[in-house]
Amino acid sequence: MAEEKKGPLGDDLSRRQFFTKLGLGSLSIAAIGTAAFSYQYLEPNVLYEPSPVVNAGKPDRYPLDSVTLDVNNGIYIIHSQEGYFSLSAVCTHLGCLTAWKQELGIIACPCHGSKFEQSGKKIEGPAPKPLPWKRLWLNDDGDLLVDRSTDVPALARDSFVRV
Amino acid sequence: MAKTVDQYFAGLQQTRVWRSIFRSGTGSSTLKRALAIQQNVFLHLFSTKVRTRVLSFSATWYLGTLTLGTFMILVATGIPLMLYYHPSVPQAYADTKDLQFVVSSGMFLRNLHRWSAHAMVFLVFAHMFKVFYRGAYRPPREFNWVIGVVLLLITLLLSYTGYLLPWDQLAYWAITVGSNIASAVPLIGNKIHFLLLGGNAVNANALLRFYVLHCMILPLAAMFFVAIHFWRIRKDGGLYNHDSEPAVVRTKSPTSPESKSPSPITEAR
Amino acid sequence: MADSKDFVAGVDSNAKRSPRRIVFITRRTSAQVKAETEDQIQTFPEVLFRSAVAVMTLAVVLIWIALFFDAPLEGLADPSHTPNPAKAPWYFLGLQEMLHYFPPVVAGVLVPGLVVMALIVIPYFKVNIEAEGLFLKDRQKRLRIFYVVASVLSLFLLFFHVYAALVPTLIVAALMIIAAQNSSQSVFAFARYLAARPLSYWVMTWFLFELVVLTAIGTFFRGPGWAWIWPWQAS
Repeated sequence: MAEEKKGPLGDDLSRRQFFTKLGLGSLSIAAIGTAAFSYQYLEPNVLYEPSPVVNAGKPDRYPLDSVTLDVNNGIYIIHSQEGYFSLSAVCTHLGCLTAWKQELGIIACPCHGSKFEQSGKKIEGPAPKPLPWKRLWLNDDGDLLVDRSTDVPALARDSFVRV
Repeated sequence: MAKTVDQYFAGLQQTRVWRSIFRSGTGSSTLKRALAIQQNVFLHLFSTKVRTRVLSFSATWYLGTLTLGTFMILVATGIPLMLYYHPSVPQAYADTKDLQFVVSSGMFLRNLHRWSAHAMVFLVFAHMFKVFYRGAYRPPREFNWVIGVVLLLITLLLSYTGYLLPWDQLAYWAITVGSNIASAVPLIGNKIHFLLLGGNAVNANALLRFYVLHCMILPLAAMFFVAIHFWRIRKDGGLYNHDSEPAVVRTKSPTSPESKSPSPITEAR
Repeated sequence: MADSKDFVAGVDSNAKRSPRRIVFITRRTSAQVKAETEDQIQTFPEVLFRSAVAVMTLAVVLIWIALFFDAPLEGLADPSHTPNPAKAPWYFLGLQEMLHYFPPVVAGVLVPGLVVMALIVIPYFKVNIEAEGLFLKDRQKRLRIFYVVASVLSLFLLFFHVYAALVPTLIVAALMIIAAQNSSQSVFAFARYLAARPLSYWVMTWFLFELVVLTAIGTFFRGPGWAWIWPWQAS
């Protein structure tokens, strides 16, 4: 008969049980390791996509009280009384590209009828959130740069760029 | 705490959800062990019992099992590799470099895929020679041997089509040489060459065709024939073992033991 | 059933101990399942666990190799620049070596085609099934045929300067001559072993020998322009 061996918690453990636990334990560690490495593998380290930072050119391209849509990059450059700021032009409902309606003074989305004010605040429509403000700053050359991957608080003092 | 884990699992195995999935359950009774094979959609290709002599390592060196093992490793590494590979020219080469230097664990996966491929070709040849030298191709196993030859050809083709995919100098010229040999077939050689490459030279069409062959057509063909191969083993009476089924009566054999052989079975043709 | 029975059938009343299938086929045209009284074991866990261990060992070995040795990757494919030498994957190098001596129709189509066909028909020839020592019956006649075939093949290879294939052929021929001179009564165990080998063994061994030698030469002894080099000279 096998001797009464004590497990790590003092309970009785036969040789077969010990090896079973050892085997299953090692397999679990290997499985967890494999899962971790597999997850790392699946996340790409390099993306072949355009940079989120957009160069919008010199500030004097944007006259006072103008709203300019950059269709290729999906942002608005707006020059208001408080300064320059940038809105995302992508509707927060389902991702359609919005348009600036000069005659109505609003931003409207053609897909499902969402309407936004110049500040990004929603007027009506199915969009759940206001249009986000994107970080805008001046670089050393005097160009306006917009980082589409970074949101800034709407209407905050630091969200405007004064030239 | 270990004991409660066991108790937890034991309780889990009694739940309706568990028992609806795993109907037979585990256990060490003969019935439970037979059911584990017979109730499983993949495993019931095997019979629930086999002759003890089948286990003998020296008989087969388990080469067939090892070949299947390399195949499974190749599928398991090949599918992840497909996620970062675009089969277009010259993107394929850039992707191979990416896999080696940019993708996490990419170098390891590519290495493992390549060495398993070489191992599989080697093992499939070794398996064939071992089967031949122990006479396991004799009736009633003739057709299984033919299936084996088909699998050998599929393995070589898999390796050959995969060789082109990195689109480096090694790949390009190896396949150029090989496809030119194909065009040496009399009468239809040039047609074969044209169809194989999807054109007159090894270019984008060739890469795409080889990619589809390598990742879809040939693996499916391999799995199809492997299933038949295993089924035939079972239906032909299990793995061949000389002591169980001597193919020839040796009245005087200086090397084999004089112990009782099972009923003298003469060659029945 | 006038012919003598070539099987022994037994019936065990204990069906639990040895489940059995007994098939009596009188016309010998289908699969032969014979009654047997052998010990049997459960597929699960005996067979499956052994297979699992074998595959896991293989996986560990391959993973170690993959961790330490990198797969090769040369420069981007350049149709305007052929590397010298341009070698096929290793398992085709035997073929490529033969391409050095014979035109593509022969080395690339005829030989592989014949080899595949020869492999496929092996189990359908009675001579391969009987497995008797080649020179144990009709010794003189078979020896004469052997000398003719071996000479013709060797001269053919010599004529085309295929020394790579000639050397293994001569070695195997020498072994076959030893086999012909011996029998099951010979003194040395190796001589007895050779004497008992059937024709199928000799043909297959010759094929295996040629395969290994030609592939080895193609891998290690061929350099730029497919010229002969010594392995230690290779860069």
